[in-house]
Amino acid sequence: MAVNLVMYIMNKIKLLFFATIRDRAGVKSLELDIPAEMTVKDLKDKLSTDYPGLKDSMKSVLVAINHEYAFDEAIVPQDAEIGMFPPVSGG
Amino acid sequence: MQSSNLPTIFSITESEIDLNNLVAQITLTSTGAAAIFTGMVRGVTSRGDEHETEYLEYEAYIPMAEEKMKQVADEIREKWPVIEGIAIVQRIGKLYPKTPTVLIACTAAHRDTGVFDAARYGIDRLKEIVPVWKKEVGPNGEEWIEGDYIPKAGE
Repeated sequence: MAVNLVMYIMNKIKLLFFATIRDRAGVKSLELDIPAEMTVKDLKDKLSTDYPGLKDSMKSVLVAINHEYAFDEAIVPQDAEIGMFPPVSGG
Repeated sequence: MQSSNLPTIFSITESEIDLNNLVAQITLTSTGAAAIFTGMVRGVTSRGDEHETEYLEYEAYIPMAEEKMKQVADEIREKWPVIEGIAIVQRIGKLYPKTPTVLIACTAAHRDTGVFDAARYGIDRLKEIVPVWKKEVGPNGEEWIEGDYIPKAGE
């Protein structure tokens, strides 16, 4: 039964936006409850739908999960900190 | 010497970059050479799109940026095991022309050890994977500068 229960647990994540992504989101950060087992791609699709200002940005955004670069197929872990930002331009 | 005992400095700071202090911190008794790269805000750009810059406003995803700087330092040590000390510092905030914004310094026993290449690799890599961005403000308005490097899995 425990295995089935996992499917109903929501995952509370923290999103941090930087540079152009923050400007378009209008906020620096968001806390979201997402279904467990959601992928990065699912999360980008959800944000495109829920925040139309982010729709174009989601096509080229870089994503970091807990400070490591992550890609579309990655599963968002529990209580993850997700950074979303454009290609970097430091120096 | 174990690389874990060698001085490695990496930081994002809002303070002025203190070159002398940083180089002193990565100088060992066996050090005879330091290669230092520092970048500054360019007020007048003539290569490519000619324009003037009033200031740059830098921001960073600080904890991730410092972790990625550590990764750059680890990569340098893997490629050039002779490197003794490494300092990687990025200044953020509103920075005006002529102001140093970034510093990469590597030290080694001698200058012909790859120490120049190591510092060059450090700044190139920082511009690829360390999450820092700058907004350029000039006479014609402001614009976020975006890089063109897409990190790969494991970077």
